[in-house]
Amino acid sequence: MIVAGPMRGTPVGRFVLRVAAWLPAAFVVWYLAGPVLAWPIALLTSAVARFAFSDVVQAVEQHGHVLTIVSTLKTTIANTTSAGVISVDVDILLYSFGLPMLAALILAARQPHAARRLILAYFVLAPFVTWGLVAEFLKHLVFDTPLGIAAQAGFSPLQREVIAFAYQFGSLILPSVAPAVFWVLTHRRFLESFAGDRT
Amino acid sequence: MGRFFLTFLLVQAVLFGAELTPWAQRWFVTPWTDTLAAISAGIVKVFDPQVIAAGKVLQSGSNGFAVSIEAGCNGVEATIVLIAAMLAFPAPWKRKLVGLAIGIVAVQGLNIIRVISLFYLGQWNFDAFEFAHLYVWQALIMLDVLVVWLLWVRTLPRAAPLPAPA
Repeated sequence: MIVAGPMRGTPVGRFVLRVAAWLPAAFVVWYLAGPVLAWPIALLTSAVARFAFSDVVQAVEQHGHVLTIVSTLKTTIANTTSAGVISVDVDILLYSFGLPMLAALILAARQPHAARRLILAYFVLAPFVTWGLVAEFLKHLVFDTPLGIAAQAGFSPLQREVIAFAYQFGSLILPSVAPAVFWVLTHRRFLESFAGDRT
Repeated sequence: MGRFFLTFLLVQAVLFGAELTPWAQRWFVTPWTDTLAAISAGIVKVFDPQVIAAGKVLQSGSNGFAVSIEAGCNGVEATIVLIAAMLAFPAPWKRKLVGLAIGIVAVQGLNIIRVISLFYLGQWNFDAFEFAHLYVWQALIMLDVLVVWLLWVRTLPRAAPLPAPA
C-alpha cells in the first residue's frame, strides 16, 4: 500500500541535507548530556548484570558515561598475600552513538510527535546498549584475563563462544543497526512517500 | 513488514556469523582489509607521496603516524547490513543484484573516505580522531547504508512498496 501523505514528493536529497544539519547538534547534545543519558542505562545494566550474572558480578558503579563492573573473580599476586577482584570499565558512549544518529533522522523526517518518538527511541535502544556493555564485561572476563582467573567464572567452551559472538554482534552491529531499524519501523508512512517519489 | 524484518535479521545474523569464522577471516576479510589499506594509500599518494600501506596499516612516512584498519572499520559489517536489507526486501532479483553492486561500491567508497579522513585527523588532533573514529564515522557509515537503501527502494516499480504489516 502506498500512502499519499503530506510528505509525498520529498526528495531523498533534501532529507539527507536535513539529517546532516541535525547531526552535529545531536552529537553535541548527546555527548554533553552523556552522564544524564547514561543513568537509566546504568540502572538497567546493573539490574541485568546482577540478575543474569549474579555469580560473577559483585557491583556496578557509574562514573559519568563510564560504568565500572566489579566482578567476583579474585586475583592474587604471586608470593604475596595481596588479593583483589577483577573490575572492568565499559563506556556507554561506545554503544549509544546511534542515539544522535536516530535523533537526527527523527527530526529530519518532520513527522508528528517527534518528541514522543525521541523518548520512545531512547527506551527502546537502552536494552541494546546494555547488551553491548554486559557482553564487553563478559568478554573481558573470559578472554582478557589470565586463564587461572578466568576459570573462576566457570564458563563452558560453548558459553565462551556465545559470549564472543554476543560481544562482536553487540559492538559491531547493534549500536548502528538497532537505531536504523527503529527509525524504519516508526516512519513507515514517511518511507512510503519516498517510494512514491520520482522527482 | 514483519516478514521483511525477520528475513533481514536472519540474513544479517547468518552473514555476520559467517564473517567471524576463521575461513572467512582468512580468505575474505583480511585480504579485503589489506586491499582497502592499499586503495587508501594509492589515493593519498596522489598528494602525499610519503604514505605507505603495509597489510592493513596505513602509515605516514614523514611523522610515523599510522592507522590500522580493524573490524568495524573495514566496511564489511556495513556491507552485510546492506546485503541483508536488499535481499530481504521484496524486489526482482535483477534489481537486487544491481542495487547490491552499486550499493556496495557506495558504502565502500565512503569507507575509504573514512579511513583517509581519520588518517589525517589523527595526525592533527588525537582527541578529534577518537571522537570521529568511535562515534561519528560509525553513525555516518550506517546513515550511508540507510540512504543507499532508500534510494534503491525509490527506484523499484511502484508495484513493490514497503512490505505490508504481517
